[in-house]
Amino acid sequence: MSVVQKNTSEASKWYLPGIMTGMGITFRHLVSNLVDNLTGKKKMITLNYPEEKHEYSPRFKGNHVLTVKKDGSLRCTACMLCATNCPAECITIVASEHEDPTVEKYPVKYEIDILRCVFCGFCEEACPVDAVRMGPEWQTPGLNGANFNYGIEHLAYRPQLKGGIATHVDDEERHKAGI
Amino acid sequence: METKLLTEFYHLDEFRTLAGYKKHGGYETLKKALKMQPQQITDEVKASGLRGRGGAGFPTGMKWGFLPKNNEPRYLLCNADEGEPGTFKDRLMMERAPHQLIEGMIISGYAIGSKKGYIYIRGEYFYPISVVQEALKEAYAAGLLGKNIMGSGLDFDLDVYSGAGAYICGEETGMISSLEGLKGQPKLKPPFPAVQGYLRKPTIVNNVETLAAVVPIIKDGAAAYKKFGTEKSAGTKLFSLSGNVVRPGNYEVNLAYPLKDLIYGLGGGMRPGRKLKAVIPGGSSAPVLTAEEAERATMDYECLAGMGSMLGSGAVIVIDDSQCMVDMLGVLTHFYHHESCGQCTPCREGTGWLNKVVHSILEGRGRLQDIELLLKVADNMKGRTICALSDAAALPVLSFVTKFRDEFEFYVREGRSKVRGVRHAEMHH
Amino acid sequence: MPKCTINGKEVEVKDGTTIIEAMYGKDGEWPEGKVAHYCWHPGLSVAGVCRLCMVEIEGNPRLQIACNTMVTEGMKINNTSEKVKDAAKWGLDFHLINHPLDCPICDQAGECGLQDQYMEFGKYNPEMAEKKVKKHKVVDLGPTVVLDTERCILCSRCVRFTDEVSKTNELGIFNRGDRSEIGTFDGVPLDNKYSLNTVDICPVGALTSKDFRFRQRVWYLKDAETVCNGCSTGCNVKVYFNREGFFRVKPAYNPDVNGYWMCDEGRDLYKFVNRENRWLKAKKRTYNGIEEMMPGAAAKDASFAVKSLGDSVALVLTGQYSVEEYESIVSTFANDLKSKRIYHWISNPEKANDFDGLLLRGDKNPNTKGLQQVLQKHGVNTNWADLLSAISSGAIQTVVVAGPENQAVYADMKDKIRDLSKAKNLIWLQTGRNHDLEALTGNVWLIPMKSYVEKDGTFVNHAGLAQKFKKTTTVVSEALTLTEASDLLAGKQLVIKPETNVFVESEKPADRVTVEHRKKNEFVFRRGTL
Repeated sequence: MSVVQKNTSEASKWYLPGIMTGMGITFRHLVSNLVDNLTGKKKMITLNYPEEKHEYSPRFKGNHVLTVKKDGSLRCTACMLCATNCPAECITIVASEHEDPTVEKYPVKYEIDILRCVFCGFCEEACPVDAVRMGPEWQTPGLNGANFNYGIEHLAYRPQLKGGIATHVDDEERHKAGI
Repeated sequence: METKLLTEFYHLDEFRTLAGYKKHGGYETLKKALKMQPQQITDEVKASGLRGRGGAGFPTGMKWGFLPKNNEPRYLLCNADEGEPGTFKDRLMMERAPHQLIEGMIISGYAIGSKKGYIYIRGEYFYPISVVQEALKEAYAAGLLGKNIMGSGLDFDLDVYSGAGAYICGEETGMISSLEGLKGQPKLKPPFPAVQGYLRKPTIVNNVETLAAVVPIIKDGAAAYKKFGTEKSAGTKLFSLSGNVVRPGNYEVNLAYPLKDLIYGLGGGMRPGRKLKAVIPGGSSAPVLTAEEAERATMDYECLAGMGSMLGSGAVIVIDDSQCMVDMLGVLTHFYHHESCGQCTPCREGTGWLNKVVHSILEGRGRLQDIELLLKVADNMKGRTICALSDAAALPVLSFVTKFRDEFEFYVREGRSKVRGVRHAEMHH
Repeated sequence: MPKCTINGKEVEVKDGTTIIEAMYGKDGEWPEGKVAHYCWHPGLSVAGVCRLCMVEIEGNPRLQIACNTMVTEGMKINNTSEKVKDAAKWGLDFHLINHPLDCPICDQAGECGLQDQYMEFGKYNPEMAEKKVKKHKVVDLGPTVVLDTERCILCSRCVRFTDEVSKTNELGIFNRGDRSEIGTFDGVPLDNKYSLNTVDICPVGALTSKDFRFRQRVWYLKDAETVCNGCSTGCNVKVYFNREGFFRVKPAYNPDVNGYWMCDEGRDLYKFVNRENRWLKAKKRTYNGIEEMMPGAAAKDASFAVKSLGDSVALVLTGQYSVEEYESIVSTFANDLKSKRIYHWISNPEKANDFDGLLLRGDKNPNTKGLQQVLQKHGVNTNWADLLSAISSGAIQTVVVAGPENQAVYADMKDKIRDLSKAKNLIWLQTGRNHDLEALTGNVWLIPMKSYVEKDGTFVNHAGLAQKFKKTTTVVSEALTLTEASDLLAGKQLVIKPETNVFVESEKPADRVTVEHRKKNEFVFRRGTL
């Protein structure tokens, strides 16, 4: 290791000029940002949240969404692949028999402990029927004592989802195609 | 030229009755046979080189020799199921000469030491069943069946059993299962029927024509029988000629008869303005021959086997250039899909798969890889099942696609038949 | 004893063995290599319909099926060549072309024959682009079994089972070709005492048990072998459980006792082991009311009513505990408490020798013989009438009862409770809840016991065969075994055997600190490759 002194002139050892140079840089940035902001040339990357929000890509892994079928019922068939794949073990599923023999299996209880969830997206990858997706919302506020075990009601039918997100894998079309 | 060894008097109506049959030398051979020893009869049949006429072509004398030499009761079963598409010779024999079959069965039963025989006739043959039953009644009344036949001390009982509409019951163990009252599904071999068959007892299953042929063999001797045909394919055979010929029907000729003469000579040749395209020489399970191969073929076991086909049951289906080969294959795959018994998986699923692929080509939805797929599936169905229905379903697919590939490729590319110009649905309104 | 060569190794087999039997080994270990199969089962006849067990025999150009080919002298068998693997792959392909995409909703996922074989030699791109055959789904076959005919691969194991083993002939295959379906005849449901065995032997999820349907995924379950305590046959069983409790029972192979099967009654026995049916805390009822306490404390508390009372203490035993426990409690009573009043509670003596011809016996206690042996050893010879008369006369002050685990088969429970509660002090040791006991007045101690799956022990079955079983897991950890209860009641101190292995051995090198394995994820991560 070698230590090399760059500036060894006498003037650089003085205190005040250095401070002035530094403050000058800061002041320069302040003025230029103000001027740009007022004239509309946006160079700062700070977003004025909540008026401006960041646009996330369609693959963004946010809050979970349980998709629904055409008739509004849950797409999930309680196969438990998401629960098995989850590295944080935050998904709890209890399955039950459906009266309709074409549906056969459905979850009575589907809970995600959102405090444990690491938002890895493994559940979305594992699901064979496009039942669980990681949606664009990422805000999960709650006061002390709030319920952070999200159940089916919240995951599939919360108000922001406007009645339920339709799934891409439709069993009826699959059966008609003879698969 | 026909060689009317068995069918000499078939044109006479009275040949069906006992009196008419006896007038033309009937049951004389039985008298002669009862004076011989059973082993002599078996040796005579072995020496004659008679091979099974139902389709497999197994040497009959050798099959009889597989029976155990003990005192177990054994059964003689006559396979009159005649399910192979294109075959209608046994029907002729039963309608015209039931007594010939009965005489053949009594002699064969005597040779193998059996006391009970069954004639398993397919359920659709209402008329032949009634004719044979009538003939049996006559035979019993005349003391030719039952106890102490012709005073010789031999007991032999014969019964007719009617099938109920399954091609698989023409397979020997399928027939045995059906006779036992079970579902007509073939049994695993080994044990072979000659050792453990009907009711777990030694059983011989032979075709109608095979058993009827025992009569001239014993009457004139093995050497006279060997004069017809070749060394390995001796004797005469009834060929059921059908399809696009002028004179379809049953013709009895000596084996090794040129196929060309059968079609153009006895069969009257093609319809005016038509050319020969393909011939199926031995029932729908036999691989198809192109016209060029058919010109060179002789109707014996070796020649056809050498060409990659088989003599089979002798049902010659003639196809001229007005037929679409894809359409014909659709008919065949539909048949095998419907008739598979469903026991073992390659046949059960494979016949359905082949049928679906061929029909999707026929409906214009074929993909280019479907042709290779047909070959692969059929290839992997062969030789892996309990009975030969799987091979019988796979061989036509392999031969049609290999030899007439251009028609299949055209259909896949254009969505319509090369020959007919239209799709399958428009071909048959 | 023909000698043959299998995959290069020379093996000697008995006459009349088929190739697949020769390769199976004594208990399904497949020592020379595994043979894929669906329709063959060592306890049933040979069907030869799945065509998956192809092997190559030297000298034979065609592949043969292993399940129907007898081994001959000098046969050279090979099932690792490319030809065999290709044949097996196509055999599997034919099974899958019409199989529905039901894995998410099928119970058999994780233990499915098709899934296993696909992972082993499948992994190909399927070429079937046509419509699959549609058949009936969720068919109610009877009170215990549900059928899905689309998933069925028509191996005919269930049909052969009802023909050959249960001999009830309820199942058959209807239609032919790929329209074939398993079914029952009109008015004759699949309802015999062994019908749930068909669910075990079905290699796919076509037959499912109504009781287990959709309750849990099998990779979340651990299994352990034990002995059924339903009747005196003592079938060997495998119990499946996880932290939430027990889920199902399946038979384990034992050629001397139960072969490959078990009866339907035994399958319900896991229910009384689960927490919701157990006593979790001991209850002591005095004139003050009910006091709850830990089982050990209650036993210690009750010991004043037991020790130093000599002959006025009686012990009532049911035949549902292990031989070691009987030995301990009987010797405690005979030697330490000096009481010969030990009585055997037999609930149904008139049916005790019933036998249905296959597995079920009338004596619904697993260890009657064991109890009789221990009583005989200690020279105890009493009858029930003495007990009742002694209670009513006051000669017996305290009755200690080791109650039955399987209360459903004790029809006289109510009567016996009534009779025995006439004593001044009643100490009832039992695993499961009972309303009548909890409603008793007087001096009553109700102490929870450990069930048969939570302890090591020995059961002696009807034929005198002693079968050892090991602890599978713990459901109620504070409950006592009869050994511990007898020690505490006699006023002795409990001796806790030190665990030989407190810390689970891990594969960490010796210089690292050994900490206990994180048992939390054990159930999930034990499943193997996905």
